[in-house]
Amino acid sequence: MEIPLAQEIIFGLVIGSYIALGAIGFTLVYGLVNMINFAHGEFITVGAFVGYLAVVFGGLSIPVAVVVALVITAIVGWVIARVTFEPMNEAGAVPLLLMSIGLGLVLRNGFRVIAGADRRSLPRDVTTYRFDDWGFFVTSQQLFIIGVTLVAVVVLHVFLSRTMLGIAMRATSDNEDLALVSGIDTRRIRNAVWLAASGLAGVAGVMLAVSQSANPTVGFGQLLLIITAAILGGAGSPYGAIVGSYLLGIGITVSVAFLPSGLSELNATMAFVVLIVVLLVRPGGLVNAEVRTS
Amino acid sequence: MSAPTSRLENLPFDAVHAGLALLVLSVVFLVSPLFVQPPGGSFVFFEVGVLFFLYAMILVGLNLQFGHAGLVNFGPVAFFAVGGYAAAILTANDPYQAVGLGFPWPVGVVAAVLAAAALGVLIGVSTLRLRDDFLAIVTLAVAEIVHGLIIAFRDVTGGTVGLTSVPRPIAGTTDVGGGAALVSTILVFAALALFFYGVFRRLSSSPYGRVLRAIRADDQVTETLGKRVFRYKIAVFVYGAAIAGLAGALLVFYNGAAAEGFFTIDVTVIVWVGMLIGGAGNDRGVIGGLAIIMGFQLVTRFFNDAIPFITQDQFASIRLMFVGLLLMLIIRYRPEGLWGDADRLGVES
Repeated sequence: MEIPLAQEIIFGLVIGSYIALGAIGFTLVYGLVNMINFAHGEFITVGAFVGYLAVVFGGLSIPVAVVVALVITAIVGWVIARVTFEPMNEAGAVPLLLMSIGLGLVLRNGFRVIAGADRRSLPRDVTTYRFDDWGFFVTSQQLFIIGVTLVAVVVLHVFLSRTMLGIAMRATSDNEDLALVSGIDTRRIRNAVWLAASGLAGVAGVMLAVSQSANPTVGFGQLLLIITAAILGGAGSPYGAIVGSYLLGIGITVSVAFLPSGLSELNATMAFVVLIVVLLVRPGGLVNAEVRTS
Repeated sequence: MSAPTSRLENLPFDAVHAGLALLVLSVVFLVSPLFVQPPGGSFVFFEVGVLFFLYAMILVGLNLQFGHAGLVNFGPVAFFAVGGYAAAILTANDPYQAVGLGFPWPVGVVAAVLAAAALGVLIGVSTLRLRDDFLAIVTLAVAEIVHGLIIAFRDVTGGTVGLTSVPRPIAGTTDVGGGAALVSTILVFAALALFFYGVFRRLSSSPYGRVLRAIRADDQVTETLGKRVFRYKIAVFVYGAAIAGLAGALLVFYNGAAAEGFFTIDVTVIVWVGMLIGGAGNDRGVIGGLAIIMGFQLVTRFFNDAIPFITQDQFASIRLMFVGLLLMLIIRYRPEGLWGDADRLGVES
């Protein structure tokens, strides 16, 4: 059956939403700590399990579980970063990358030992709203995911543009040395970044637990999409990451219409092709970031 | 350097000669009616050993790329897979679901090397100007793309089912059954690994290798000295790709099949962790590192049955946790590895 374009765009907005929640945190860490964090997907998985536990065992409603996951994942991510990445802050991009790969392996398999490979779904109470004239429907669950992401984006914007900490964060991301001599406590900034990035990952995790399931690889499965979105938007730029995420999300769903039916499962693979093409043709992404050496 | 190792340096023959000699010996052994039947319980050692020699071949290429030239290739498994599937598709006879062209196995070997090298040129030309960490991501993405394509194009590759009916040239010559073929296989693979180890070591210890290390230290200065840095990088990338492709072909000829499960990111992780344990840039060291990590894989297989209350799945996960933990500890406390040179690698320990 032919799926109308409007419907594909709705699906794309949903996918873009949880990619965005991951990509904003990923790109903040890239911009300020100067590392590609391969364990970012595992932070998302932490959020998914915290959200699941809060709903199923804590008896909380899903919106409350989002807040709980945000706070707990923020703290967990911050503690992990203090122990693993911060002591080797000066080591350079590749050692930090390798460190995060090791950390990802430990966490991901740790989840699997504790939780098994089962897929645990949150109880769903879904209402469907039909807009037959325009040829699409949207569920309350999808609206919730898009809505939470919009709230997060607005809060982030206010934080980055109106608060001292947020402005200092942007300054540090632009030029760490300059920020340091202007009296910005860059260590405090880094702490804030780890808290913010992990917190957003926690929210992304609950969204994934709602729409898919809480399982040990739920976050890792999003990682390359998140990296693609962040680079598409210009690595280090949170606003770029948001745009990149929605472009990628809609691109993935709409491209299904153009791919031969047997190859529709290739759309994640297509995303990596996009990643490579972006890096080659416009390595700075939509805004300009420096990724080439020569 | 201790006395025994320096005496080893002064031997009148090197790994290339030793590899060739062993290769001749193993071929003679293959065509002769002689065979060795290993005891049943030892098969697991041979199986891990076969993988060790194949991974060692990937590793000597990777070590030239990262250890010597500083190129962060995070997708060696992509070339391993392309080589494996190129060989399998060309040589398989009437596979269950896939393309099998039924050519003789040497055609498969040549095609595997060429296909992997061609992919190396393609990836290298387009990406080697990227910054280190972005190169890592792109190469990793390439590996994921290759894996995705293998699964999606099931009419050609057999998808998740795999591609069967691939000839087994080594096992075919010893048809006495049991583990006799395993012994022959490991002999041939060891000879090839030793030979290529020698070739790559010659490359890295020659003036050519010195240029690579200069590129790793500072590619702009090297460029000023009149070296075509980009060309060197491409060449090194292609050498590594070609040998990984060859290893892929050997794997499918050993298994008599190609399956996506042979070519997962775990291969990349194992080879990288082995290289880092041994000390990237130290040719002998990285092989030692690989031996340690493969030895760990082997020994822990026996633990599985010994520990109650733990399922096989959990055990596999615990093993991967240890690999990750090892990687973290090495990077944090001994970035130059066990036998690496901290000054030369430019890392702070």
